[in-house]
Amino acid sequence: MAAAAVMVSSASALLAMLQEPAAELKLHALSNLNSLVHVFWPEISTSVPAIESLYEDEEFDQRQLAALVVSKVFYYLGELNDSLSYALGAGPLFDVSEDSDYANTLLARALDEYASIRSKASKATGEEEMMDPRLEVIVERMLDKCILDGKYQQAMGMAVECRRLDKLEEAITRSDNLHGALSYCINLSHQYVGHREYRCEILRCLVKIYQTLSDPDYLSICQCLMFLDEHETVANILYTLFSGGTDDTLLAYQIAFDLVENENQAFLLNVRNHLDTLCIPKSALPGAQTGNATDPSGDTQMGDDVDIMNGSPRVVDPIEEARADRLTKIRGILSGETSIQLTLQFLYSHNRSDLLILKTIKQALEMRNSVCHSATICSNAIMHAGTTVDTFLRENLEWLSRATNWAKFSATAGLGVIHRGHLQQGRALMAPYLPQGGAAGGGSPYSEGGALYALGLIHANHGEGITHFLRESLRNTSSEVVQHGACLGLGLAGLGTADEEIFEDIKNVLYTDSAVASEAAGIGLGLLMVGTATEKAGEMLAYAHDTQHEKIIRGLALGIALTVYGREEEADTLIEQMTRDQDPILRYGGMYALALAYRGTANNKAIHQLLHFAVSDVNDDVRRTAVLALGFVLYNEPEQTPRIVSLLSESYNPHVRYGAALAVGISCAGTGLNDAISLLEPLTSDVVDFVRQGALIAMAMVMIQTNESYDPRVGTFRRQLEKIVLDKHEDTMSKMGAILASGILDAGGRNVTIKLKSRSKHDKLTAVVGLAVFTQFWYWYPLTYFISLAFSPTAIIGLNSDLQMPKLEFLSNAKPSLFDYPKPTTQQTATATVKLPTAILSTYAKAKSRASKKDAEKAQEKAEAAEGKAEAPPSEDASTSMQVDGVAAEKKAPEPEPTFQILANPARVLPAQEKFIKFLESSRYEPVKGAPSGFVLLRDLRPEDAEELVLADTPSTVATNVSGAAAASPAVEEEPQPPQPFEYSP
Amino acid sequence: MDPKLVEVTQLFARFKAAYARNDLDVCANLLSQLKVLLTKFPSLPPSFQQTPNAVEELTTARDIYEHAVVLSVKMEDQDAFERDFCQLKPYYMDTCGIIPPSPEEYPILGLNLLRLLVQNRIAEFHTELELLPAKALENLCIKHAVELEQSFMEGAYNRVLTARQAVPHETYVYFMDLLAKTVRDEIAGCSEKGYDFLSISDAKQMFMFSSDQELQQYIAEEHPEWDVKNGSVFFQKVKESQPCKEIPAAPVITQTLGYARELERIV
Repeated sequence: MAAAAVMVSSASALLAMLQEPAAELKLHALSNLNSLVHVFWPEISTSVPAIESLYEDEEFDQRQLAALVVSKVFYYLGELNDSLSYALGAGPLFDVSEDSDYANTLLARALDEYASIRSKASKATGEEEMMDPRLEVIVERMLDKCILDGKYQQAMGMAVECRRLDKLEEAITRSDNLHGALSYCINLSHQYVGHREYRCEILRCLVKIYQTLSDPDYLSICQCLMFLDEHETVANILYTLFSGGTDDTLLAYQIAFDLVENENQAFLLNVRNHLDTLCIPKSALPGAQTGNATDPSGDTQMGDDVDIMNGSPRVVDPIEEARADRLTKIRGILSGETSIQLTLQFLYSHNRSDLLILKTIKQALEMRNSVCHSATICSNAIMHAGTTVDTFLRENLEWLSRATNWAKFSATAGLGVIHRGHLQQGRALMAPYLPQGGAAGGGSPYSEGGALYALGLIHANHGEGITHFLRESLRNTSSEVVQHGACLGLGLAGLGTADEEIFEDIKNVLYTDSAVASEAAGIGLGLLMVGTATEKAGEMLAYAHDTQHEKIIRGLALGIALTVYGREEEADTLIEQMTRDQDPILRYGGMYALALAYRGTANNKAIHQLLHFAVSDVNDDVRRTAVLALGFVLYNEPEQTPRIVSLLSESYNPHVRYGAALAVGISCAGTGLNDAISLLEPLTSDVVDFVRQGALIAMAMVMIQTNESYDPRVGTFRRQLEKIVLDKHEDTMSKMGAILASGILDAGGRNVTIKLKSRSKHDKLTAVVGLAVFTQFWYWYPLTYFISLAFSPTAIIGLNSDLQMPKLEFLSNAKPSLFDYPKPTTQQTATATVKLPTAILSTYAKAKSRASKKDAEKAQEKAEAAEGKAEAPPSEDASTSMQVDGVAAEKKAPEPEPTFQILANPARVLPAQEKFIKFLESSRYEPVKGAPSGFVLLRDLRPEDAEELVLADTPSTVATNVSGAAAASPAVEEEPQPPQPFEYSP
Repeated sequence: MDPKLVEVTQLFARFKAAYARNDLDVCANLLSQLKVLLTKFPSLPPSFQQTPNAVEELTTARDIYEHAVVLSVKMEDQDAFERDFCQLKPYYMDTCGIIPPSPEEYPILGLNLLRLLVQNRIAEFHTELELLPAKALENLCIKHAVELEQSFMEGAYNRVLTARQAVPHETYVYFMDLLAKTVRDEIAGCSEKGYDFLSISDAKQMFMFSSDQELQQYIAEEHPEWDVKNGSVFFQKVKESQPCKEIPAAPVITQTLGYARELERIV
């Protein structure tokens, strides 16, 4: 008997039973229908009214079962709304844990419904939509169940989606891995919460939970607090930490470094000021006074800290003294000086730029072509950004002097890029070119303006010490070129500080209505007020309507866009106003406003709007910018960008193609993403010259720091660049693109990448702003230098409690060649090109075991030797150094490449390499935080032993040479002898 | 033996006794108790669990429902008939040979067909027919119903009416009586369409009434809109009012004028 297969063929019997007068029979029929509904729903659907009437019958005691059956039938009929409302009627019978399509679909539906009602309710508090309490109950049951089952991540996601912070809190506190849960939530809030205010609420809730923990993760707390802009709490935490033991102090330092990485200058300033007020009652009065007195005037950026120390010698208590010392250190870190100094040191000592490339470019170019000439200077500046190495300029002074007028302005500004972050010596370095206090010095206004701009670049985002001087220079001049430079410089130095006085100064320049100066003033105002959503934007907009000069309107449009940086929904009114303007330049500014307000959020609304403008605006500039802006909105999801703009990159309109190229370049910068490269490749040989230019630059941005063994197309691209530069018949535009691309590809001595997000997934304000202004080079070449703001060094720097670099080794579990420097180019005459350069500060383990003795002796010597090489012009040195290493390389040749590599502190670690980095187990030091990247504070496990420090090769000594050299060559500018380097004191 | 089954069998025995006595109220009462008890048996449809007593249970349940159907006929309750029949049907269709076929199967199926015919649910009638195996059509009971339907469709109403004399089963009589009324309704519907009026004697003959009174009563009950006067029945033809095809003049005029005004404004 095939009884197992026995099955009723129709539900009519059960349906008939429903009509029976006896309640037991109805119940029996209903419960059977409930279990068979998946088979017989078409049949039951005709009797749904009967079951519905059962549900509505107040006296029937199984109404909920009836509702459940009806709900299921509606589900199968595809009427999800009806189904949900009956499922709600089914009350507890609707089983949230049931693993069926029906339950899952309805739960998803319920969650969606609930979330949408909740988010609507939070938007318009005036007329609250009625929340069905039953819906709430279901969602709560669902959440509770997830928590009970240990599916905490699911529960947290749902709680966030439904705006139920109470449940979120419950899920987190009950989860087994509290820290994991919290960091998951932070990620969640940044990636998926579109609404800024709500995100703040979540973060506040997270901070609250963090603070209840016994061992709070201060690193994460402070990151949250920074987003919330609660500087006082951060200051308090730091204060408590560095008043504690050594480990806590290390943690405080680490927090400070991490905060600095996010480049939020205004916030850091506030933290620092609050720290001071916290310390006043504790530390001796005189010290505090000195600190306060020097701060506002703030002329000597390095001075204050020393002053505090010097000013408080009367503090006798050693604990107090230690605390004061720590305060100084913290202040140093928060001001960014410590990290900048260390970075500078790293970039200088690890500089591996290839001067031969520049030489080739220089020789290939026609003498008279000034565009390519200044592009080459710019390329050199980018290549050496932050390394302080200006060998190339010094060697080619005569060639350099061919730059006149604005080219001279750019050339001088380029020095600022090279010396970026050289805070102490910055002014001394630029002294020969600076306007000489009121007296009409011999310098041309172009080099003076350029020098002021350069100072801004050197002090970008850390301008405390220089703003005073820049303001003076701005006031003392009437030359619009100098004003231009000073406005840009002030904007850069005071980035995001919203300083009223500076604002007034720049505004005065703006109202002179001179095309050149006011344009820069517009941008400068924007830089100053970045992300403040200031009401002054209205004022700027009004002036943009008043003025006749397109340049001024453009400057202002960008400036206004900058003010709404990161404000998301708050900026909507302004964006609306700008995008509806009749003036295409203001619409163009509106695109930037969209890009910056929604930077890195991948906000659907913003993308939608941009795509709309990209295809429908009548003005090419607006369309180009709209596409380009997509890059900014999407940089948090670089994988998405190539897909979204792929159609646009095939547009008939070259401007749109150009925008698509740059959008990919911006959002995928430094990723070496396969899709991005595939999209850009055809564009690099586009028929239109400026599209080629954009594509080359974008490609360089994507491929920055990737080498040929990582992606073979890098090699092809390098050869293509060389070919374009050498080709006599190539258009100037694409030639310029190729030259700039070579610079970007090897930027910062091959030790920097373009990063728009910090390691804690926050956006890097300076970098984003830098790239946004950089894209303006379309109209104004000197703005190319803004790209230097987006560079961040790819270094791992270990520091001990004295903020010094101890000797330390890391293990990189990857093939050395994968993340190695690219091969240096060889001259055509050189025969062997296969030799692998091995002049890196690490050694292969096998070689090490063989030559361990030799290494031990040479460790120090070698480091020095490497520096020596970097110092000497590598163009001459390259071949010899290669041969030196070549001997070793040939010996190793037959052996397979090792799968790991030992790196010495400080080491070059590419972002893609970070996951392979490990601290050696036997090491003396232990990192304070988990992720091995950036600045890592080290806990000393054997404090009794004497520490061995890495010999710091500060570029300051070289810097004197440089300025000396520059001075010794009066041929350039015919400047008077510059003063010797000195500590400036007011 | 399972106590529940024992209980059911005892109760069923009492039901049968009452049934034999023709004590219908007691029967109905017992029947509803029986039905409730049956829900306790897992082996019954729709679950068909295999229990040791499955065969007995199924047979008993089928027997009970068969009786229920016949009872409903006796009580002349068509709704109950439909209900009970629907519940009985799985025992015929879905047991797949767990229990031997019932001798009552075809008479009851035929009865159902007849009911559908009476209720003028021809579509369902054919659906049911399609579900039956071909050899079932040979059965006298089924054949009877099928032939009736054919006559009914052909309009051979006299054959339908004479068929009452040759019922294959005594329970059929009830439905055959009802069928006469169905036929009368059909004829009434046709006459209404076909004639403006009929003389009372014609109408009497056509509607198969033996006396004028019966006719009068029928008209009063079923067709109060008919008029009986001057020795004739007047069918008040429900004149289908022609759908109003009036031209919406006023709105069209205003709209056109509006366009004209707008046009002038544009120039």
